[in-house]
Amino acid sequence: MIEHLGPQLFNGLVLGAFYAIVALGLSLIMNLTGTINMAHGSFMTLAGYLAYSMVLRHVPFGWALVIAPLFAVLVGVIVERTLVRPLYKREPFYSLLMTFGLSLIAEEVFRLVWGPNGVPFSPPASLAGAASLGFMQFPTFRIFIVGVLVIAIAALALFLTRTRFGLRLRAAVQDSEMIAALGTNTQLLYAVNFSLGIFLAGIAGVLAAGMLGLSPTSGNALLMPAFVTVIIGGMGSLFGSIVGGLLVGIAISMTTLFIPAASEVAMYVLMAIVLLVRPRGLFGEEGIFG
Amino acid sequence: MSPRKELLLSAAVVVLFGFAPWLSPLAHVELSTMSELLVTAIAVMSVNLLLGYTGLPAFGNAAYFGLGLYGAALSLKYLPHVDFVLALLMGMAAALIGGLILAPFLLRRRGIYFGLLSIAFGQVFYFIAYRYTDVTGGEDGMQIARPYAGLPSAHVVVTDFGFYYVALALFVAALVAFRTIVRSPFGRTLVAIRQNEPRVRYLGLNTDRFIFVALLISATMAGLSGALFGLLINFAAPLQLDWHQSGYFVLSMILGGAGTVWGSLVGAFIYVIGKDVISTITAAWQIYLGAFFVACVLGFPRGVLGTLQALGRRSPQTFADDNVNAAFDPNAPVEVGRGV
Repeated sequence: MIEHLGPQLFNGLVLGAFYAIVALGLSLIMNLTGTINMAHGSFMTLAGYLAYSMVLRHVPFGWALVIAPLFAVLVGVIVERTLVRPLYKREPFYSLLMTFGLSLIAEEVFRLVWGPNGVPFSPPASLAGAASLGFMQFPTFRIFIVGVLVIAIAALALFLTRTRFGLRLRAAVQDSEMIAALGTNTQLLYAVNFSLGIFLAGIAGVLAAGMLGLSPTSGNALLMPAFVTVIIGGMGSLFGSIVGGLLVGIAISMTTLFIPAASEVAMYVLMAIVLLVRPRGLFGEEGIFG
Repeated sequence: MSPRKELLLSAAVVVLFGFAPWLSPLAHVELSTMSELLVTAIAVMSVNLLLGYTGLPAFGNAAYFGLGLYGAALSLKYLPHVDFVLALLMGMAAALIGGLILAPFLLRRRGIYFGLLSIAFGQVFYFIAYRYTDVTGGEDGMQIARPYAGLPSAHVVVTDFGFYYVALALFVAALVAFRTIVRSPFGRTLVAIRQNEPRVRYLGLNTDRFIFVALLISATMAGLSGALFGLLINFAAPLQLDWHQSGYFVLSMILGGAGTVWGSLVGAFIYVIGKDVISTITAAWQIYLGAFFVACVLGFPRGVLGTLQALGRRSPQTFADDNVNAAFDPNAPVEVGRGV
């Protein structure tokens, strides 16, 4: 059992990176507009299926990894401008309910277009092997996944902290009315912010399709761990989402190794413990979101 | 509306439902669907108490519903001499215990954070029912044999016909209890908490305690609904604990009218009958249900009774709980961003 510890820990980190990136997208949208995007998983599945169809038509995997999320963003922007935007001024649970409705529609559309069962979507041959890191073997595709996710998270961090637009985004989270009064187009901020979240979800969706499988409900399966991640990391904190995601990933992989029956419940236990010690989550700010 | 008129109208609705076994075949609706409607209405009421009156996004009530369902199902399977009434009580007890366990966590947050916690913690019970296959039957669910009503010789409740009247009686009892609660000083305090919790606290009231009690009442109601549902369809499956189920309850509440006494029945009526009709027409009913969600949230946020109330408000005669919907006024400005 001990010899499985290393690989399993690595698997936990890969899984955790997925949760982190999904949670980051959720947090971005939630922090700025108070919208809990229940359709987040659907955007992941959408990007996954688009990439699948592209690869079937001999588009290189690398291109599909960029283009499919962009398509998802296109759909996302349309949804945000037409359906989510009217709900910003209302109680937040309205947008939660609306996006829940969207996810129901999406699930059925996926079923109609790509069939009710899962489709085989394997990574390209160049990423299919395993790489040896001296002491143990790692599947190349998983190393690739970690690489892409780390780059995406780093790019997001740079964008938010080093560009004027990112600065405005963070300021709008603090006080969007003041930012609007100072002459920033907050509607544009909302749209770009939503797109960023969907783009992250799209990338995660394509990669997850290659690793965890692709079916009409596969994206939603990642949604609940992402919620738990947000709660553990603390709402309002992007750094918390990253740490929370890794913690959840490791918790799941370790319980899978030692107590398989408890693997699904493990993250909830972790969440309960964190909440008992720190009600606002590990890195959550006091005062945000009650 | 005067109390006298309200009583007459309520009596008329109950009598109308009393004739449902003869009326529903005319509309090609099965009697079991009518029972499901009444059972669902109780669950929607439980959401209404938390969300419609107290303003807490109760997106986890499917957990209590499912605890009621499995509480009844498991006690029937593993305990000797469990009759209909005892099965219901076991279901309610299971949900109440679930509420007692979750309340300390849920009480710590408000607003969407409360909603997120409700969804996440509710999902624990889903996985427990899903995973512990030996006891719960796992994904396949478990059959429930509908028990006798108290005495082995009394076969009254075993028929669908009898069950309908049991459901109707329990619905009326739940509605009366619900109305009594929300019209009491306790219920008024819940509304005050929704409108401005800090102010209630400055008045010297421990709002946590009020929300705690509201949570337990809500959980027990949802448990009753879940236990009844299990005895209606004679089956328990993890899907009924899933957060989707919570979403359906919340949608039904919005449809009927948040913060209205009869809204739960109206909402459950539209949801259950609507789903029944759509699913007979097309297999892709989920698309229509989803589109219905989107359309209602965008275009009909006050629901049927909320809209009627808003219309009534223009005339001098108004409902007794006139301002209940004020905080749900979609035109009232709500600060985006931090203002949750």
